[in-house]
Amino acid sequence: MPEQNGAARRRMSLAVHFHPTGHHVAAWLHPRSQIDAGSNAAHYLDLARLAERGKFDLIFLADSLAIRPGDVRARGRWPQYMAYFEPLTLLSAMSAVTSRVGLVATASTSYSEPYNLARYFGSLDHLSGGRAGWNVVTTGNAASSRNFGRDEHYAHDERYDRAGEFVDVVRGLWDSWDDDAFVMDRATARYLIPEKMHRLDHRGPVFSVEGPLNMRRPPQGHPVLFQAGTSETGKETAARLADVVFVQQQSMERCREIRADIRARMPKYGRSPDQFRLMPGMAVIVGRTEEEARAQYDELQASIHPDVGLAILSAELGYRELPDLPLDEPFPLEVIPGVDQGARTTVRNLREIVERERPTVRQLYERFSSARGSYPLIGTPQSIADTLQHWLESEAADGFIIQPAILPGGLEDFVTLVVPELQRRGLYRHDYEGQTLRDHLGLARPPSRYASSGAKGDQDVD
Amino acid sequence: MALNRAEAVARQMKLGASLRGLGYHGSAWRHPGVDPSGAEKIEHYIALARIAEDACFDLVFFADALAVRARDEPKGSGGKYAGDAELDPSTILPALAVTTRHVGLISTASTTYNEPYHIARRYASLDHISRGRAGWNVVASFSEREAQNFSRRQQASKPERYDRAHEFLEVVLGLWAGWEADALVQDRETGLFFDPAKVHELNHAGRHFQVRGPITASRTPQGRPLIVQAGASDAGLDLAGRFADVVYSAPRSLESALRGRRELQDRAAKFGRDPASILSLPGLQIVTGWTSREAGEKRAALLDLVDPLLSMMTITRQFGAFITPEMLDDPVPEAEPQTEYSVAIETVRIARERGWTVRRLCQEVGLGRVLCGSADDVADTMATWFEAGACDGFNIMPSCSPVSLSDVAEHIVPRLQHRGLFRTSYEGATLRENLGLPPVEPAIPPMQPAEATDA
Repeated sequence: MPEQNGAARRRMSLAVHFHPTGHHVAAWLHPRSQIDAGSNAAHYLDLARLAERGKFDLIFLADSLAIRPGDVRARGRWPQYMAYFEPLTLLSAMSAVTSRVGLVATASTSYSEPYNLARYFGSLDHLSGGRAGWNVVTTGNAASSRNFGRDEHYAHDERYDRAGEFVDVVRGLWDSWDDDAFVMDRATARYLIPEKMHRLDHRGPVFSVEGPLNMRRPPQGHPVLFQAGTSETGKETAARLADVVFVQQQSMERCREIRADIRARMPKYGRSPDQFRLMPGMAVIVGRTEEEARAQYDELQASIHPDVGLAILSAELGYRELPDLPLDEPFPLEVIPGVDQGARTTVRNLREIVERERPTVRQLYERFSSARGSYPLIGTPQSIADTLQHWLESEAADGFIIQPAILPGGLEDFVTLVVPELQRRGLYRHDYEGQTLRDHLGLARPPSRYASSGAKGDQDVD
Repeated sequence: MALNRAEAVARQMKLGASLRGLGYHGSAWRHPGVDPSGAEKIEHYIALARIAEDACFDLVFFADALAVRARDEPKGSGGKYAGDAELDPSTILPALAVTTRHVGLISTASTTYNEPYHIARRYASLDHISRGRAGWNVVASFSEREAQNFSRRQQASKPERYDRAHEFLEVVLGLWAGWEADALVQDRETGLFFDPAKVHELNHAGRHFQVRGPITASRTPQGRPLIVQAGASDAGLDLAGRFADVVYSAPRSLESALRGRRELQDRAAKFGRDPASILSLPGLQIVTGWTSREAGEKRAALLDLVDPLLSMMTITRQFGAFITPEMLDDPVPEAEPQTEYSVAIETVRIARERGWTVRRLCQEVGLGRVLCGSADDVADTMATWFEAGACDGFNIMPSCSPVSLSDVAEHIVPRLQHRGLFRTSYEGATLRENLGLPPVEPAIPPMQPAEATDA
């Protein structure tokens, strides 16, 4: 682990997650949010520069392949996932105005082709000089499937089978050309060495992809792979493929278990647990005092429209239609499904909370509206740093995905108030030490699948 | 229809620049003014786009393909091909959008190997990021290699691919129209962010696609991104006539350009469109300098730069292996082309007529068809074509980037401006406005007139 001021101390990675106006569902109503964020690229470019000033490892963009389904009454009052930028397009723009911060976008394996995604992320890695990451998702909602010609979405395990093969193909395509394939020697008129090109020739249950990719191997070898699901299949897939797992989880203990669990599964895939990072989401509101933070939180909570609150609970339950619920009565446990085919982890989270705390409907939606399943982190720079430090030192996290309640205001507060406190404690970098996202995260550049064997082209090592 | 001088000045020429890779000369990477690794550097493309924008070009354009193209035939040629390591243009353009202000941004995307929902979102985002400068060059793709990268044993037939392309465009245009222009309310007082009544599902159900919509992007600054098309076949003309705002072409002569533009306008009329709402931009490779002598020297240097072996790869693709590296100083033998028309086939015919050596043939194929001359001569030819009604402007294809684009910006553009045929500053805020195209009709995607009811 890197050392600072002589003291051996694990340092944390930090990501920032950009919802257009902020993580809080009522963020757009707050004067410190950018109301037209969803179509205002300048807002995002400023945010990207701000993240880089805060020495963040990376920017994270979520995505959805459909407008938010569910209650129509709530739709117009809740802009998240309605009108916003396609993430890869937006990150490509951000790459031109930043030089260090990592750029990570969600893209679904369920409704894309591996050749296309290999090119998009490979290209973003070239554009940014090695700063690209791909959050691999398997898209588990019916609304998305109806935009791609399917009446029903894929079953859970089928999605993961497809995802596993999809990622294998993409990684194989990234290895199409050896790192030293392009000699570009004007004197001998030799641009490349054809023997250093490899045809993937993948033939699998889902995909047949000949290759090679028409692109040099990305600067990072492979862009960093993120994953979010923590179901049993999700953890197994993560152990095999993921560099980073992003969890939305309110219990530190659970995070510690998940982290240990995934790390323990890695050796059987020939991977070292050191080459894995767990990053829980942290829904952050920073104040100079506890009162200031609490006031901002209360202000946001008070502006949640009940229609939106109920729509959020419905979304957390996999867009389950809710009966009419009196707002100030306890939330009925029987409304929560046992195990849903879709968003299993979020359903389990919600169920645990209802069982443990018996909140009223309003209390429950207020809780999910602010943190959206992540850990709600509201306080002063010191108390926030205390929590992050505690999670880090308890081995419940390797870093955090900061989800500012409002943007740009919440990120400004975090960068000016919390980052210096983390730096003072030796928990966070003072400046970037490497160029690539892998450098920031302390992850090794993966060798090409063709490198060790000395394999010539035309064979599939996997 | 021919224009008189006043009409020509009033209409003005439109200029695009095709910026793929290092240029359209097969060995551009060997030119001393070219960075051989430029094709994978965004700085290379930013520099090119700024040259184009400083010269008031309407747009920059990136072609694309979804497979490598080189074959190591004849042996040794594969190592000389610089076109197989590229960036994806849909990632280049957003980076150009935030490093330029006026120039239009167009890239190719395939309707055969994409989903309409993805394409609609990506170009809508680009239109928002660039504040109204996005365009999509629609291709139906044509190579077996591409099919094999997308889990198909072989590609679908041409009619099938074009049928899919038509439906693909119907879906994309429908998705772009899904959010009414005033759907976003963003009113903190009333707590209403957008009006759900102004956001529409498409509910498309066709032969190739079922797409519910709407997309996750509000109405874009241009109303919708521009549609560009390049195929010159009958199927391509139908697609262009029905949907395209801009059409690229590769006419062999002024006469064929005139005929092609007329055909295109007729086709637009057949689909109930105003023929003036579709612009024709022939591709043009220019070699020029202060004098015709300097231009001639540059052309000779470009011919010298060609690697004959690399040209043989192109030629044998059309003819099979009828020439070999041992035959460079022999006359070009007889051969039957094995594919449809291409520049290489045309050049082989000329080579036979004129008794060229194999080396000369390779050089000419490597350079391609160019308009070579002094700046005045080149500007004369361009003005002649434009005033004859053979085109609405040109799509400039630099031989070697950036030097050949700089030559056009430095020598040709000022002369066109001096004649009043090209702008000296941008007139509009969007690509559509700069091209002088009519505003997009709101909400209704342009279906065939007979079935123009589906909103």
